[in-house]
Amino acid sequence: MNNALIDWHLAAYPVALPTTRGRMAEEDSNWRIWMAAAQAGDQRAYAALLTEALPWLRRRARARWPGSSAADIEDMVQETLLALHQSRHLYDPARPVQPFLFGILKLRGADIRRRRHRHAGRETALEDMPADANELMTHGTQEHDAEQAGLRKALASLGERDRQVLGLLKIRQVSLKEATAETGMSIAALKVASFRAVQRLKQALKGGADED
Amino acid sequence: MKTEDLIAQLAQDVAPVRRLPSPVALMARWLLVTLPVLAAVVLMMGPRADIAGLLMQPRFMLAEGLAAATTVISAYAAFCAGRPDEPDWKLFMPVAAFLVWLAELGRQCFVLSVQTNGAALVLHADWLCVPAISITALIPAAAMVWLLRRSTSFRPAHACLCGTLAAAAAAEAVLPLFHAEDTMMMVLVWQMGSVALFTMLGALAVRLGLNAFA
Repeated sequence: MNNALIDWHLAAYPVALPTTRGRMAEEDSNWRIWMAAAQAGDQRAYAALLTEALPWLRRRARARWPGSSAADIEDMVQETLLALHQSRHLYDPARPVQPFLFGILKLRGADIRRRRHRHAGRETALEDMPADANELMTHGTQEHDAEQAGLRKALASLGERDRQVLGLLKIRQVSLKEATAETGMSIAALKVASFRAVQRLKQALKGGADED
Repeated sequence: MKTEDLIAQLAQDVAPVRRLPSPVALMARWLLVTLPVLAAVVLMMGPRADIAGLLMQPRFMLAEGLAAATTVISAYAAFCAGRPDEPDWKLFMPVAAFLVWLAELGRQCFVLSVQTNGAALVLHADWLCVPAISITALIPAAAMVWLLRRSTSFRPAHACLCGTLAAAAAAEAVLPLFHAEDTMMMVLVWQMGSVALFTMLGALAVRLGLNAFA
């Protein structure tokens, strides 16, 4: 930072430390000079101020909202820095910087907490849920049930004779001899009918899959 | 984004800014606009015939003083609201001032009602109060919006409420100079009711106005 600029700021705004604001009294006298220089567009002074203020802001945020998560604290600090950037013109160099920064932190932190609280009823934080929670699991019979429903649908789309042949030979698994007695068909005809019914069932299952 | 990266980006984007004057300086500017407007309204409407006698009454002057105090305190609080380093108690000062003012008018109403055997409690419709206060407060409210436009990032609702209360209280302070109410109850209900109504509606409108400016 330009030394002449620092001298001018010190002359214009003498730093009266320690401040009367109790816990704010730890403020580095440079903060006011840096902030005033930042108002004049000094990038280095502004970067120095923000870098110095960052751990202080984190500390104050943690002290004010001890129950907040680390991510929320960091959100509050980032929002504070953004709000400070947009409100540089509101700072009065005759006053200490820390109450100004802490005021922004309080207001932005409260905004974030209000927002979180408003959304909390509609959200479930995944990080708070065990990985084997029932809500996140595919139930054991879910896939099996879905397959069975598809098979029933495909069977229903077949003709009466196909369903009868498949029911006897594939589901009930009766012998060919018993099947001939029930259907009145020859063994050769049953074998051909069974082969064709399976082909048509495959086709129906494939069609169902294509539709999905 | 990491906070350290954000800092680097913010530092890169920093541009010179024009400092906002202090709340006291802004309040002085607002009064500089408001007082001539109020004087012009009184002159345009024509002061009451009994104005000289009224100004000699301690009761009247006390009410006027409390109206003026509410105006000044509310305007100051409105300009403090947008500053993050201003304490919250300053924003509640206008409520205290307004309640003291209201309490004094209530006390006067009670005393007069006892002295006049209830005549001071007579109430009838007076629709002039609402437009009179609204029109008188319009330019002070517009000046308030203009002066608040650069400090809307923090506590805008408080700023709007305090700002409109300041404008309404200023209008109410000059209303008795050109418009006579028959009874104290009329003052309490119609004039103070108009102040409350203007403050509520004005706060909403000012907020919209500030959003448009911001």
